[in-house]
Amino acid sequence: MKFRNKALFSFIAVLAVLSIASVTQAAPPVGFDDNEIRIGQWGPQTGPAAPWGSVARGSKLLFDIVNEEGGIHGRKIKYFIRDDMYNPAQTAAVVKELVERQGIFAFVGGVGSATGMAVKDYLAANKILWIGPAAADKDFAFPVDPYLFAVYPLYKDEGSILTKYIVDKLKMKKIGILYQNDAYGKDGLEGVKDRLATYKMSLVAEIPVEPTEKDLASQILRLKNSGAEAVLMYLTPTPAVIALKTAATVGFKPQWVSSNTLSDYPLMFKITGGLWEGVITGAFGEIPDSMNPLMVKYREAAKRLTPEERWGIFYSAGIVFADPIVEALKKVGRNLSTEAVMKALNSFKNYQTIGPKITWTEKQHQGTDSVLIQKCGPGASYITLQDWTTNDLATWKK
Amino acid sequence: MDMKRDYYEDIQLFKSNVVLFWSAVLLLALFTIPLYAPNYYIYLLNIIMVHVILAVGLNILVGSTGQISLGHAGFFAIGAYGTAFLMSMFQVPFVFAIFIAAFIAAFFGFILGLPALRLEGPYLAIVSLGFGLTIMHIIGGMDVFGGRMGIKVPPLDLGIKQLGISWVLKTDIQKYYLILIMTILLVVGARNILKTRVGRSFVAIRDSDIAAEVIGVNLTIYKTLAFAVSAFYAGIAGGLFGFVLGFFDPFTFNMILSVIFLVMVVVGGLGTIQGGILGAILITYLQYDFLKNIAEVPYLGALMVAISKQWFTTVGLENFSSMAIGLIMIGIIIFEPLGMFGVWIRMKKYWMTWPF
Repeated sequence: MKFRNKALFSFIAVLAVLSIASVTQAAPPVGFDDNEIRIGQWGPQTGPAAPWGSVARGSKLLFDIVNEEGGIHGRKIKYFIRDDMYNPAQTAAVVKELVERQGIFAFVGGVGSATGMAVKDYLAANKILWIGPAAADKDFAFPVDPYLFAVYPLYKDEGSILTKYIVDKLKMKKIGILYQNDAYGKDGLEGVKDRLATYKMSLVAEIPVEPTEKDLASQILRLKNSGAEAVLMYLTPTPAVIALKTAATVGFKPQWVSSNTLSDYPLMFKITGGLWEGVITGAFGEIPDSMNPLMVKYREAAKRLTPEERWGIFYSAGIVFADPIVEALKKVGRNLSTEAVMKALNSFKNYQTIGPKITWTEKQHQGTDSVLIQKCGPGASYITLQDWTTNDLATWKK
Repeated sequence: MDMKRDYYEDIQLFKSNVVLFWSAVLLLALFTIPLYAPNYYIYLLNIIMVHVILAVGLNILVGSTGQISLGHAGFFAIGAYGTAFLMSMFQVPFVFAIFIAAFIAAFFGFILGLPALRLEGPYLAIVSLGFGLTIMHIIGGMDVFGGRMGIKVPPLDLGIKQLGISWVLKTDIQKYYLILIMTILLVVGARNILKTRVGRSFVAIRDSDIAAEVIGVNLTIYKTLAFAVSAFYAGIAGGLFGFVLGFFDPFTFNMILSVIFLVMVVVGGLGTIQGGILGAILITYLQYDFLKNIAEVPYLGALMVAISKQWFTTVGLENFSSMAIGLIMIGIIIFEPLGMFGVWIRMKKYWMTWPF
């Protein structure tokens, strides 16, 4: 009977300890004081997604410029970048560390869907603002999370806009699609189909691709046999490269059109060995050598402050995601609070810097449905084909 | 100095009153940490303890039985997905779900143990590596598991829904106690396994499998058993890990994670329980905390930033963290093959034989 006593005793002890632990936890430190506002971002600086790490460093440039100009109402911005290696476990760890040890007022950007989903509820529970996740996940903006403000245009909207361009401007009737077999690819596919339905047209080929596939020969042949004049791509870089190279070897030369995820032309041009020339993509930021006055200002600042960085599309995207918080902080003034900044963000109407026009209301936190359409010219140069275009079919706006 | 006079002395949990005293102090400290540590450390401790469970289990396989595995992230994933899936889809209570998932992992461990009967060294490493990657991609390709987008873990309900009892653990501190208790049970369990006939068979296989077979150790049973036990530990650790995170996707369980697990065991010390624990604590702390925040460490941080600006690329400092872990591993193998546990043994010997 001795054993049973022991077991009973330990069971009671466990219950007691767990009940004591039910006491609520202390609130994390505030994210600002009289001299500084602390802002953070996670992003893959190492690991498989490291090329996207420049987003987090791009935001740093903007905060450095703001600090150089004297800060915001007497407060400097203290900015923290944390490497999560694109791994949700590490994202959760770095975000908790920043929030609970440093005290963070807001997060900006943050590359990745899964990484963002790992911390979304935690940030909301701690009433910490999160502006401009660097991923177009529907779950970020729908349903509305009062502390989360999305900037990135949805893939569905982009697919619809790109399809309209192909049909109206390029006058192509036979359209095929290669889409990654997950939420990213399927969202794009949905947008394309919605648009084609308005023309009473349908896709000539609709081919799913697993992101790990290394041989796309049969898929490309199916596309070729379908007689597609334009092929849309909702892929990640590696399958896209394989698709283009395979098509080149079988002599299939459609107009390739891709989502903005592949809009880093110098990179794509290099890894496809020049085949990327002529590809049309969506984009959510001005072209790198744009003469837009703000772009000129940022470009000059980048040359001066971070000469070692490549002035690319993802680096400047970091600025697009960080601009709104700076604007909101300026609007709020010296009397800072999370609620005041939220109110300022909720009153954004057609706010534009070097990205799309952003509008947020209390009931709508998907900031935009607009993309640019660009084309890769000779030597990986950028050519703007169509200015900011909204999606008239976007269902979420109604 | 650690001379045992009979079997019962060897299997004692606490060898002397001194050990008993310090163990009690340690337990007391562990149970009261949430009272004075900031919340962030609780989260870190949760991850550390999950890794401790896994490393202790992996050490049974790698350190004690002498088999290598580069696929433990696969068992870890089976535990995590299995537990979350059973709880959300079939409303299985937590306690049963995590054990069923762990037994599924153990079954896969048994399967992986079969080729280990014929393969050794690098060949076994390749097979286990392939296993880990396969699991990751199979889970990623199945929509019921959320595909590549990952799944949200259901609330951690310790009660039994069918009986109307519900006790949801929400905070990190509550989860801390749950994981702490599991860790203690599993660590003591691992120690007991190694002190029994089974554990001694494992060690015999490591030292020489032919000799072991000659003295009557059934290689088929014990090699596959070592894989199964080790996978069981990984499964339990995975199940708990899912609740620590709240959300995960298949790529959380990538190949690098398997390598990191192996690093923990090697750095901590092969073949000892303490080694697994020490390695898991050190590597997790370095990876999740120290190396992440190195830029803000006084003096050292500024120095590292300057070095990185001068010699490395723009993300030099982040790359340094991978290099640091690699350097630690190489250093341990060259200077202290017994790992951190070896350092501890030498310190102990030094003081016990002092002044000689």
